Amino acid sequence: MGADQAWILVAVPAATFVVLALFGRWLPRKGDWLAVLGVGASLVLYFFVLHDLLHQRDSLVNAHGYWSIAMDTTWSHVGNFSLHFGTVVDPLSATMLGVVTIAGTLITIFSIGYMKGEVRYWWFFAVLMAFIASKLMLVLSDNLLLVYFAWEGVGVCSFLLIGFYWEKRSATEAAKKAFITTRIGDVGLLIGIILLWKATGTFNIQEILNAATTGQIGHVYLFVALMFVFLGAMGKSALVPFHVWLPDAMEGPTPVSALIHAATMVVAGVYLIARLLPAFEVVPAALLIITIVGLVTAILTGFMALATTDIKKVLAYSTIGQLGFMYIALGCSHPGAAIMHLMTHAFFKSLLFLAAGSVIIGTHHNQDMKQLGGLWRKMPITATTFLIGSLALAAVPPFSGFWSKDEIFHGTTAWNGGWVTFLLGFAAVLTALYTTRLFIRTFLGKPQDQEVYDNAHETGPIMVVPLIILALITCVVGFTVFNGVGRAMGFPGGFTEFVFLNEPERFSMNWSWAAASAAIAFGGVFFAGWLYWGNRITISTRLAEWQPGIYNMLVNKFYFDDLYQAGIDHALLGFSFVISWFDRYVVNDTGVDGMADSTRFGSSILKYVQTGKVPNYALGIALGAVGLAIAGLVVRG
Amino acid sequence: MVPLENYLVLSAIIFSLGVYGVLTRRNAVLILMSVELMLNAVSLNFVAFASYLDPERITGAIFAVFVITVAAAEVGLALAIIIRLYRNRATANVDEAATLKW
Amino acid sequence: MATEVLWWIFAVLIVAATAGTVFSKSVIHSAIFLIGSLAGVGVMYVFLVVDFLALVQFLIYGGAVTVLILLALMVTRADPSGRPEDTDGPQKPFGVIFGAAMMAVLIGVSVSTNWPNDVSDKAHGIPIDTISEKLFIDFGPPFVIASALLLVALIGAIILARQEEGE
Repeated sequence: MGADQAWILVAVPAATFVVLALFGRWLPRKGDWLAVLGVGASLVLYFFVLHDLLHQRDSLVNAHGYWSIAMDTTWSHVGNFSLHFGTVVDPLSATMLGVVTIAGTLITIFSIGYMKGEVRYWWFFAVLMAFIASKLMLVLSDNLLLVYFAWEGVGVCSFLLIGFYWEKRSATEAAKKAFITTRIGDVGLLIGIILLWKATGTFNIQEILNAATTGQIGHVYLFVALMFVFLGAMGKSALVPFHVWLPDAMEGPTPVSALIHAATMVVAGVYLIARLLPAFEVVPAALLIITIVGLVTAILTGFMALATTDIKKVLAYSTIGQLGFMYIALGCSHPGAAIMHLMTHAFFKSLLFLAAGSVIIGTHHNQDMKQLGGLWRKMPITATTFLIGSLALAAVPPFSGFWSKDEIFHGTTAWNGGWVTFLLGFAAVLTALYTTRLFIRTFLGKPQDQEVYDNAHETGPIMVVPLIILALITCVVGFTVFNGVGRAMGFPGGFTEFVFLNEPERFSMNWSWAAASAAIAFGGVFFAGWLYWGNRITISTRLAEWQPGIYNMLVNKFYFDDLYQAGIDHALLGFSFVISWFDRYVVNDTGVDGMADSTRFGSSILKYVQTGKVPNYALGIALGAVGLAIAGLVVRG
Repeated sequence: MVPLENYLVLSAIIFSLGVYGVLTRRNAVLILMSVELMLNAVSLNFVAFASYLDPERITGAIFAVFVITVAAAEVGLALAIIIRLYRNRATANVDEAATLKW
Repeated sequence: MATEVLWWIFAVLIVAATAGTVFSKSVIHSAIFLIGSLAGVGVMYVFLVVDFLALVQFLIYGGAVTVLILLALMVTRADPSGRPEDTDGPQKPFGVIFGAAMMAVLIGVSVSTNWPNDVSDKAHGIPIDTISEKLFIDFGPPFVIASALLLVALIGAIILARQEEGE
């Protein structure tokens, strides 16, 4: 089993999906153990692949320090066009594979506890397996067409899982919204892929990158194509203005939110852009746009998170904000930082979501902060793991979030003027603020709703153990940025030496930067603590009285949803009014009815020829004969 | 001997009178008689052509033979129809047999 | 010379008889005039020295067709005394115009055309053996088909004209 057979990692969950979908109902325990086996097998096989990759480094590494193991077969071809199925295992995809398999396994185990007693238990695990298979395929594939297939695959699985409780109207609406919003992005992605194919004649990512970096594609054309691809990434990653679907996607079960909408699917865009980053570097304007979009997203969603009381929605906004951070890192040509933040974020965000799920189960399906509070006494393990996750999110050292966010800060110095760094710092402050607010209002202070508090309890071990494992990972994974730690684990170096763009970057501890970002984090945490300690929630009411406009704007999520709905109502429906007018009056009345009416009218006039009298017919024959004779004479000349 | 045009003119006159008869006459049998006149004129025309212009292959004369044959058959059938018509409507007047109209 | 004069006499007779057929007010008179017209055309065949056709004309037209027509007139209760009846239909003006126009056109065409083989020549006669040779050898299939046609017409006429039970 080597990196050549990495496709087996995709095949195992896919096969599990088929078995579960067809037979899940009748398996013992509805097949949840089969799902764990499926994703666990992928996890084990992943380590084989990783070992093979690292083992072959010395023989394959090129002058820049980059190496990969690729496998490519031609699936079929029609004329000049051929479809390829291929995988490429390199540091980037290996990292992603690790994230997906580890998080996937832990979350699947957690789901056994969380989804206990829910309807369609077996279907949940089936779609979860399908999702993992699609995501692994996305990360492994070497050509853009296969990426697109997998992209759509994860989208469909996300749709199915968001709408898992389809008896609830809000869930189906959310699923539709998610699918339609990401679809708009997907169209952009497809256009981008086709544009790139037209310019280079291939879908293979490596060949496209070679063509782009050697100047074979015109810069304006390349810029347009890459912007379309970025559009797809924006849709999937819920960047502003596509962010509207992710908070609503919280209608799905919490493990789904953890796996799909925090750790894996939403970062597909980050992965894709990181893969194509050499092409983006050719047109720096594209990088600037990515950075700006990331900044806007991070700041806007930070504010939105401050105004929400649903714990899952706060985490959803937080996810979008952290994705903004990752895109900022990409925009600064620093994929190592982006992918590192992806990895740490995957772990601490799924930890936070799973802990929130534990809270929900423990308080019997309560997820509004207005009814929670003081839960650390009742659910100590959940509270502790949630604390670790929050500290990582707020980028408090020595937790993992601190290291990866610091790396991003370091990358922003590539932009002149420091404005990116400043805005990034502001977003980081916001992150710390809402994270602390979330923790305090849920776990500390006085309980808001005594009944909920009395009935709360710690959740069972099958849910708590994955939490503990994730918390442990969150504590330590940040240290992989160090050179020594990386070497000790068998990697060529620290994280940024493992995943890089042009040259491996050896991490060096810049103490002033570290101190500055630590200060930001601590400052945010203490400020929020001062604001919210003792449940001084009068902050929001005071803000509402002082500036109702701003308050309403925050509560209504900056009116994005209302804008889109108005656009649909007026633009789309207005357009459909025109179309329906055309259909009714032109197509139906004139085309269909008109033909019938004119035929009827014509025949009502012509019918008088049929007089029934033989002499009249004889006259007709005579006239016809004469007419033919004249015609013959005329033709003859 | 008379030139060819004489025969052609003669047959033209007979033919035109026959056409007049077909268009004008009311009685079905009279219409049939006018049709016979037209056929006759045509045969005369063909035989004149065969005799004057085509003495080796005499196609016109053969055609006239067939015309006479078919005319005889046609008369038989037409009269059978007229007799039928008479039995249904007690009249041979074609103006009265005008129910197949709009 | 004599044949020419004879020809002209017969031509006038034919035209008169035909005119009588179509203009007569009495149905029976029209039938009698038809006999004359048909017989006249038969004489024309004699002038053209196509004796076989002249014979056939007299036999079939004069014999069979006219008898049939008179028979039909009797069955359809035509007035045998020959009193004038109303025989012209409402299309009379069309008929006149059309007939006149047809005559003018046909005569004009036939007179103005240049016929080949100097047509003042004597009309070549068509002996009967030529006719039979052409009829049975060159036009054999049409001959057989014509006989089949006659058979079908005969059967059809019988079926059409027979009286059903109770009629």
